[in-house]
Amino acid sequence: MLPVERVIGEEGLRATPNGLRLAMRLPWYRSLPFSTVEVGSLSIDGEAVDLADAVIEYDGASWPLAANGEQVNSFWFVRDSAFLVLPGRDLPAGSSHEVALNIFVSPPYIPGMKRTNPQTDTLIVA
Amino acid sequence: MTQATGPQIGVTLYSFTNEWLTRQFELDGLLREVAKRNLGPNIEIIGFQNFKEFPDVTDDFAARFKDMIAETGLNPVSCAINSDRFLRPGQQPIDDASLIEYHKRQLRSAKKMGFSLVRYQFALPVELLPEIAPYAEELNIKMGVEVHAPMWAGHPAVKAYGEMYDRLNTPYLGWIPDFGGTASRIPESMLNAARAAGANEDLLDKLKVVWVEPGMSHEKAGRLREWALANGHAPAHIQAASLAFFILSNNDPKSWAALVDRTIHIHGKFYGVSEDLVEEAIEYDVILPLFRDGGFTGTIVSEWEGHAYLGHNGFEQVARHQAMCRKILAS
Repeated sequence: MLPVERVIGEEGLRATPNGLRLAMRLPWYRSLPFSTVEVGSLSIDGEAVDLADAVIEYDGASWPLAANGEQVNSFWFVRDSAFLVLPGRDLPAGSSHEVALNIFVSPPYIPGMKRTNPQTDTLIVA
Repeated sequence: MTQATGPQIGVTLYSFTNEWLTRQFELDGLLREVAKRNLGPNIEIIGFQNFKEFPDVTDDFAARFKDMIAETGLNPVSCAINSDRFLRPGQQPIDDASLIEYHKRQLRSAKKMGFSLVRYQFALPVELLPEIAPYAEELNIKMGVEVHAPMWAGHPAVKAYGEMYDRLNTPYLGWIPDFGGTASRIPESMLNAARAAGANEDLLDKLKVVWVEPGMSHEKAGRLREWALANGHAPAHIQAASLAFFILSNNDPKSWAALVDRTIHIHGKFYGVSEDLVEEAIEYDVILPLFRDGGFTGTIVSEWEGHAYLGHNGFEQVARHQAMCRKILAS
């Protein structure tokens, strides 16, 4: 996996009081407004995860994934992980899971371009 | 008497995208590494790649950046800014006033950090230039629009900008050629990466044929895709093969001659320089003399883009590219 294509972040998967928390990396060479990034799909152990209640956490702020398209002034720094939080979902610490995440990127200076970035990895819950 | 100094050599930190994204260096460490390896002193930085606070850099960060520059002895020549007009995919672009202000914010940040010029993009509608150029003049920072594949000197958008440049007639506006627009072939390293990703030889043969056909890049990419799907190639292989359409075009290397006079900075785009100092796809021995003999005295920053398909380290390639440029310029 090329550095510019990875979408699963180094911080991996963690069980927190707010739900499961998955680290995501921006699959592009530069920072982008969150509004141009879409979480296409997530599955854990082959099962599609319903993202209706998912929340994005980034740099001390958080917002519903469903409202991500409105984040035109919030920039995802390309070095940082952002986190996808799945409220009410839990997995035992130390257990191993196959995580498949797909992130779409529409660079805001290239009209019509939409890149698909799927990645599957086995993560151990921290 | 003025001493003609000729083209200068430098590097864009974009060449080290792999090192940056994998968090091998913080910004200060990366600048030190560039200085230690003598790849400067002239540098370009993409604002939205290396500065977390972009587009609005604080005075505090700007001061810290200037300290890094003073410590390393590097020269911050160019800050690449972006014309982010399509902030809501599939919807209307942002309004003109917002886009103008977006450029001004980035110009202010670049100036505050001590850059001499900014790279901007054709995504800025040409008719908005009269709103922005006076501000660049007021800040005393030059703006160069990047002529990047599929653009080249003869492209209609370049001609429209040229007409506006004639009308505004200011030394603060110019060109930044990116040599990927005049590649003579698809780099073998890129084809090898597509092979490694599983692309079959007949798909790559077809790619080589379609790539040199006339037409817009996205149309050619569409043609290849249609043919490849009809012939049973997997979408992932087609995506790997299609990269060539989006970062390289095969226009005449000598066509840059038309832009030399207003060129303020150059992206020395490259993919792989051999041990005997030859770039695998771009004919530097044809292109560089045009700028040297045309009186260009700005900086050619080495821009290794192999990270679009390789996980390699960029440092050794940049050193070779700079050696190649020096050799050609001295010939």
